[in-house]
Amino acid sequence: MKLEAWFGTLDLGEDGKVLASDPFSKNVRELALRSLSLREPGKGIPPAGFDLRSAALACGFAGSSEEYDSLLHEVTLDAAKLQISGALTPDQRIILAVEALDDVNETANVLSERLSEWYGGYFPESGLSGKALARFVAKYGSRKNVAPEDPLYAKASNSMGAELEAFDEELLKGFATSVCSLYDRRKQIEAYIESSMENIAPNLSLLAGPMLGARLISIAGSLEKLAAFPSSTIQVIGANKALFKHLRSRAPSPKHGIIFSHPLINTSPWWQRGKIARAVAAKLSLAARTDLYSGEKVPSLAEKLDAKVQQIRLMNPEPPRKKPESGLKPKGKKKRRQ
Amino acid sequence: MPEVKTLSEGIFEITKGKKYLATKNLAPGMTVYGEKLLSIEGSEYRTWDPRRSKLGAMVLKKFRIPLGQDSKVLYLGAASGTTVSHVSDIVSGGAVYAVEFSPRSMRDLISLVARRRNLHPILADAGKPNIYAHLVEPVDVVFQDVAQPNQAEIAARNAARYLKSDGYLLLAIKARSIDTAANPKQVFRDEIKKLEEAFEPKFEILTARDLNPYHEDHLGVLAKLKE
Repeated sequence: MKLEAWFGTLDLGEDGKVLASDPFSKNVRELALRSLSLREPGKGIPPAGFDLRSAALACGFAGSSEEYDSLLHEVTLDAAKLQISGALTPDQRIILAVEALDDVNETANVLSERLSEWYGGYFPESGLSGKALARFVAKYGSRKNVAPEDPLYAKASNSMGAELEAFDEELLKGFATSVCSLYDRRKQIEAYIESSMENIAPNLSLLAGPMLGARLISIAGSLEKLAAFPSSTIQVIGANKALFKHLRSRAPSPKHGIIFSHPLINTSPWWQRGKIARAVAAKLSLAARTDLYSGEKVPSLAEKLDAKVQQIRLMNPEPPRKKPESGLKPKGKKKRRQ
Repeated sequence: MPEVKTLSEGIFEITKGKKYLATKNLAPGMTVYGEKLLSIEGSEYRTWDPRRSKLGAMVLKKFRIPLGQDSKVLYLGAASGTTVSHVSDIVSGGAVYAVEFSPRSMRDLISLVARRRNLHPILADAGKPNIYAHLVEPVDVVFQDVAQPNQAEIAARNAARYLKSDGYLLLAIKARSIDTAANPKQVFRDEIKKLEEAFEPKFEILTARDLNPYHEDHLGVLAKLKE
């Protein structure tokens, strides 16, 4: 029986004794690459309990137990490093970008709240918030500097806010500039996600939009995992709480998770949403698979989805009548949802 | 004068103001996760935080730790290497096969491994032990801290391939990752039963203790193969 070890090929007799052995050269990189190739199933794996160390010593690959350990250490370390450097695939980069985007959003919101609280003491009538306020403060600083052609000029001249002294103005202006740059960064990350999604998942990007598509990949963990999900899972990704409540108790099943942000779903009337969500999820799952396995753009997917959605809308033009007993517990025997 | 008491081979209790659990540092001068270094009579010790390491908690819970200077260990679920570093200290002349599935954790582990020659990192799924069959020799101890719902099965599969017949299995069972809703005591009973009967090989449980107060809803288990 032939078997493969990290240090060489061995030929094993019936009684488990090593008959012949063919050790490799002690080149760490070569051994590491070989060790990675042996991870594929179907290669001659050693029988359970086979003592690799004694075999390596017997065939002369390593002169001593210490040398065996030392070589194995370097080979496994090199192999792990090779795997790590290959681990940052394009879809992983998108996931990092989506996570960064969430962090930037959260930070920008917190800081712009702070700015609005802070600057409000000096110019409460501005009526600005978020990005507009940050741009305003970064541009003018004190309300005394507002240009006459600015629509806020009149309000700024008659404001009940406190005087902004030069020392404070410098601080607030700097703070506002930081907030502005966060909003710029957000734009930049969004552009990055859009262009990478176009490259690695053109169909998903077309059907779901780049941001929703990227979020789906992010929650699934990779494009490969997303493609492996059944469409019913894609339909409720992001609705974990509602889903588990449904599975545990008599709560209704969720109709949609994060795919709710899809315009086909959130612009439809409530009684069509569940049906449309099901159709959208089905096509998104097809799109993810096409992206993973062929990578070619298939425009017919979008057409089919539109046709299906049209059909659903035609079939269900009126809201269903609400059941009279809804909200009340059913009388008699309790029926459990299966 | 600090006092050094040996709790188990390679594991010490140092009294210096207060009591510390510690191992002898195999890579002197280097800390791994912000632990304290104590120099006593020419040796450097690294303090071991039982709240961050289930093995450390097991030591304080009076488990017999079957690790010696030359032990070979298969460590499943190495994570970032907090506990692995102490195991590497203890088995200074042996070998630790550190299996971890997450590339992110492996990144941290690698910087630790590079300075310790008895560590062999393996980026693989512990649920598929055949993947690393060409690397791992028979071991004296299988240590498992994977927090997976099927962890008993994973332990059995690895023990079947790699554990010597007189070897030991040490594992930490996290009730919350097996069933978030069930009562932890019931989960522990079920998992023990699984280890004893459900898979091949079957185990004989030697010690099973809750790791309170160091880890909530965790059970430490020491087992050996059933004859």
